[in-house]
Amino acid sequence: MSMRSKSPWILHYNTGGCNGCDIEILAALGPKYDIERFGMLNRGNPKQSDILLVTGPVTLKCKNVLRRLYLEMPEPKVVVAMGACTHGGGVFRHLYHVENGVNGIVPVDVWIPGCTPRIEAIIDGLIEGVEIWKGKTKEKEYLVGHGDDLLKKIGAIDD
Amino acid sequence: MMAILFTLFAPIIGGFMYGIERVVKARMQSRIGPPLLQPFYDFVKLMEKRPMMVHSFHAFMGIVFFISTWFAMAVLMLGNDLLIAVFFHIISILALTIGAFSVRSSYSIMGAMRELIHLVSYEPVIILVVVAFYLVTGSFDYRMILSADTIPLLKLPLVFIALVGTIPMLLHKSPFDIAEAHQEIIGGPDIEYSGPFYEAVYTGRWIEYVYVFFLVFLFGGSNYFVGGLLVVFTFLLIMAIDNSTARLDYRKMLKFAWFILIPLAIVNIFFLALGGNS
Ligand code: SF4
Repeated sequence: MSMRSKSPWILHYNTGGCNGCDIEILAALGPKYDIERFGMLNRGNPKQSDILLVTGPVTLKCKNVLRRLYLEMPEPKVVVAMGACTHGGGVFRHLYHVENGVNGIVPVDVWIPGCTPRIEAIIDGLIEGVEIWKGKTKEKEYLVGHGDDLLKKIGAIDD
Repeated sequence: MMAILFTLFAPIIGGFMYGIERVVKARMQSRIGPPLLQPFYDFVKLMEKRPMMVHSFHAFMGIVFFISTWFAMAVLMLGNDLLIAVFFHIISILALTIGAFSVRSSYSIMGAMRELIHLVSYEPVIILVVVAFYLVTGSFDYRMILSADTIPLLKLPLVFIALVGTIPMLLHKSPFDIAEAHQEIIGGPDIEYSGPFYEAVYTGRWIEYVYVFFLVFLFGGSNYFVGGLLVVFTFLLIMAIDNSTARLDYRKMLKFAWFILIPLAIVNIFFLALGGNS
């Protein structure tokens, strides 16, 4: 169990934010903060990732893509929502094209506050996510609050 | 006895090499980098994921890739000749590409095509390397090469350069990481593997490290010290090249292999054959 927590692979998905958060994530990969110390890699592939790091307010077009990415990740997995956008829309709140945050689209385990969050906060949030991830099992986690027809539509019933 | 142990522990040795690689790479970018045992942590982590496959044949081909790479290693170590080991290595790559072609993901199919282009680029050079070894030592058996009284490197400098040029293609390192191409086709042939099945592919890659650097080691002949130095030098050189170059186009790779590396190796072999073993 403890060995597992040393190798969290990250899937980073921007759902239409201003890219401020994404640049901070890139900075976290760089020499000064280097999150590879914790074994974290930015894989960019849902099937091989453990942490879904979402940024942005979820535009209407992104909604189903985000869901799909979440469902394609094999359990155990955690979702870390980063930035004010994901919490409730941030500066994009109540615009015509956004969902006002990721809540209700994927179940979020850790929220990282800020716009943009400091890199220290990102690292803190990811470590917190790893702590939660340690306690999770291989059990399937489905979207909460959605009927069978939606799950069938995205192919989640019998994957 | 040594050969059997070496074969059995090939994945572990390869894992360590991969761990060292990640640390060295991080230090070259003035990062701290992951711990040395990181590949094994990844191994345990992938083991504990929920198995999820596209279809059973695809997953099976991933496992075949692992087994046949290991088998190529065994053929290499346990006394059959180098040439047959090279062909077994081709079979392992074919298993990977067949698996990658069998899913509908376009990234996977594109990766498989590029993997085949890789194969077309590096495999002739590897076969020429083996032929050159035969000319120098009169045998395809690695034990004969390792007990030859000359250092093969002295007679085969150009072949060695050609081999070093192909290593980035074989191991998917930066100027020629065309099949893997993270950020572009996100892993290529491995993209659809997940959990324990990705583990097989991941570990198969470690064995490829051992396989390639064993070929480099053979250039030292009976002088193991020179062989060791060559391995370390090549390893660091490949890391430096990997860190300082950007990905090229597949045509450039093919041209580089066929118009520079293969002629280099052929010229060397040609002069060797003309000069004779006198
Ligand atoms: S939270 Fe702020 S910095 Fe991050 S994407 Fe949204 S607007 Fe940009």
